[in-house]
Amino acid sequence: MDDLSKSDMKFFSDQQHCFADILLPHEVPARIQVVVLNFLKILSSPDPAISDLPLINRKSSNSRVSEGILTDVSWIFLSHSFCSRSLMKANATKAFIRVWKVMEMCFEILIQDKRVTQRELFYKLLCDSPHYFSSQLQVNRTIQDVVALLRCSRYSLGIMASRKGLVAGRILLQEPNQEAVDCSACGSSGYAISGDLNLLESLSMKTDARYIVVVEKHAIFQRLAEDNVFNQIPSILLTAKGYPDIATRFLLHRMSRAFPDLPILALVDWNPAGLAILSTYKFGSIGMGLEAYRYACNVKWLGLRGDDLQLIPQQSLAPLKPRDLQIARSLISSTILRDNYRQELAVMMQSGQGAEIEALYFNGYDYLVKYLAKKIVQANYI
Amino acid sequence: MDISSVQKLCIHLISSAVQRCRLSEGLCRLSVVLKSSPPIIRVSISDTGTGSCLEEFQDLKCNREGIGTEKWDGLLSIKTTSISDNKIYHYHLNLRGSVSARRLTRLPSIPKNDAKFSGTEVCLSIFETIDALLKDIKHYFQKMLILKIPSVAAELVIERGDASGLRCENVFLPNECSPLNFSSSNVERLKSGLEEYVLKHRNSLNNKCDSCFCSREKLKISSGVASSMESHRSPGLIVEAVIAISELSESLCFRSSGNKTEVLHFKDFSPGSVSIASLNALTSIDWRSYGLTLVSAVDQVDHALIEWESLPPYLHIDMVIHCYHKQYPGKYKYQPDRHLIKKGVKLALDDLKEKHTGLLLSAHAVKICSYAPDLASSIAGIILSSNDLKFRSKCSTLLELSQSQAIGKQTVEDRIKEKIISVIETNDRKPEKIKEAAPFLFVDDRPQDLDPADLYLEEHAGGDNVFSFPD
Repeated sequence: MDDLSKSDMKFFSDQQHCFADILLPHEVPARIQVVVLNFLKILSSPDPAISDLPLINRKSSNSRVSEGILTDVSWIFLSHSFCSRSLMKANATKAFIRVWKVMEMCFEILIQDKRVTQRELFYKLLCDSPHYFSSQLQVNRTIQDVVALLRCSRYSLGIMASRKGLVAGRILLQEPNQEAVDCSACGSSGYAISGDLNLLESLSMKTDARYIVVVEKHAIFQRLAEDNVFNQIPSILLTAKGYPDIATRFLLHRMSRAFPDLPILALVDWNPAGLAILSTYKFGSIGMGLEAYRYACNVKWLGLRGDDLQLIPQQSLAPLKPRDLQIARSLISSTILRDNYRQELAVMMQSGQGAEIEALYFNGYDYLVKYLAKKIVQANYI
Repeated sequence: MDISSVQKLCIHLISSAVQRCRLSEGLCRLSVVLKSSPPIIRVSISDTGTGSCLEEFQDLKCNREGIGTEKWDGLLSIKTTSISDNKIYHYHLNLRGSVSARRLTRLPSIPKNDAKFSGTEVCLSIFETIDALLKDIKHYFQKMLILKIPSVAAELVIERGDASGLRCENVFLPNECSPLNFSSSNVERLKSGLEEYVLKHRNSLNNKCDSCFCSREKLKISSGVASSMESHRSPGLIVEAVIAISELSESLCFRSSGNKTEVLHFKDFSPGSVSIASLNALTSIDWRSYGLTLVSAVDQVDHALIEWESLPPYLHIDMVIHCYHKQYPGKYKYQPDRHLIKKGVKLALDDLKEKHTGLLLSAHAVKICSYAPDLASSIAGIILSSNDLKFRSKCSTLLELSQSQAIGKQTVEDRIKEKIISVIETNDRKPEKIKEAAPFLFVDDRPQDLDPADLYLEEHAGGDNVFSFPD
């Protein structure tokens, strides 16, 4: 995918493609300097003005789908529609200044050759400008604004992704100049995926697994790891403990390229949120649309699916919450879902009910492993 | 018109004399002589303006509820002549007469013997104390000073009839030292008049107060003129508004009126009353776009009183509105509508904003300016953290700072802040200005809030769990 963006021969759809560059540490300060110079030029011009900041629109209206022609992978990307942040708009002034403040802080971090996590950045900003930053969420959104302005990846800004993901199973991971880690021996906690994308890039990987299983929930991951499912079915287990973060997706993507013969199977709850998580691994996201497209993988939906509902008791079905329905509506409206996924989603919405993977325990604590094995052997995934 | 008191009658007669003087070309003299032989005052108002057509006197009505017969017998003695007449006409007019034909009595004319002059003298006798009359007349003249009608030299003479025959004179001349001449427009004169009025602390002093107004900057004054077209249905009307803003650092002299502004009204070159149209105009202006909030505008007979919500303590606003007909004389049946008055006042306000940066900033602009230091600080932070000397030097050039290395963050920050505030203030003067260009092209312009369709694909916190906040 990266090669495609560099090649001279571009399909029409690729010309619409707007993406964030992965830059070296010295390149981002240069871009920030360009922004400052342009701002000052306009401020000091004969007809002075305070420029707006044009940001790539991260909304579904600006999202496009790239259908995999040569590969099985489709992904979502953003096109060239902009929105702007302006100092002069009464309620948007603070948001405008927040972008500058984060830019300033990233600039300082990069000049000093450091890296910070989003959490650390939040605390630094809180101390420095308490009037502007009140929550982590706000900081994260502002970081995305800076990504959209400078069109460089978040990691290039010196901000590390969070350490959320875990790996377990039949894979050996080795950091440069370190001992190899056998993820099957890590116990139920697994190997913690670093937030440092450079580090993840430098990992060497060896496996004899036949499948990669992406698990939505931490509890399920732990159970499967404890039960050593990867010894029964030669597999690698991966989880982001919920909504996938960039680091986990990055590693999954690396694995998919390093081991292209391994099918990637997802085990998620039977509800719109579960499908959303699966879709993010599979297609990327709009929120981080400028970079997320790189890590789209051909993930298949193992379970829970509609025909698994017969395996669980009626009483374990729970009504969908309003937020679930919202998610479902936006999924339905997205053009990227294939028909088979749409059908599953339609059944969810019609019944108004969902089920969690844990419902399978009704049949016994070891049932999960059996379920998994059976489905894999039957190649019962879409 | 109805006359309700002797003071009003005298003022009206003086005002008519002023109008006649205004009409004639060249300098005119207006004399008001009050000869006091208690309990009677003999009032004589004479002018060298154009001759009078008697209609203006015959239109006066004196009803029983107004001036009582014990105050005035209703008789006016009028002598008038125009420049082209060869005699001076003399009349007695009895305004209490019941039959209109019998009101006017013609007396023998006085020959002019080929002398070329014009003028009018009106005399009447009233039963009143001189102080009561004098107060109103003086007040009238002081107000008239604001108009600065150049062609009238007025004098007020009081003769007290006692043994020594003392006379005292007060003379009200247009200020000799002003740079105005006959060719200045009405509005220029009004401006100058209001300026002097304010400089003398609203006519409470005889001269300008130098301690409060030590520098030219302390008083900022501007004007706006709105006119309506003449048509067969209405005469052309002109509204002139002048606004003066004084910024006094301390209330060195007596206390100023704080949050209130007296809006003086003039109508056809005479102190006028406040019309409903005027009050409506004042209340309907969008004061917020000038950084002001109007609490109330009340008619106080000879001026409108505006109360503001929280003016800065050192700031004081004075205003004068003058409505007049383009053509004189004419039938004054039409009042200017509030749109014309509003337009005149707005033009004055915009003129003030245009000429003085940072004055009358709208509330919106003030709010945005409060963020300027933080923005400047961020940008300065980036510039000073940079190791790239070429970049820093380019920034210094753009900011018109010297190229030396020793420039501190505060200097850079202050310069950026200055420029930002200046742009905000400039933008504030033209509310309809089109959006300025961004450094890069931007094509679309949509609000930043997400609609539900994006929720599924929105990564909270860029990759962290939708269900919980990141660690």
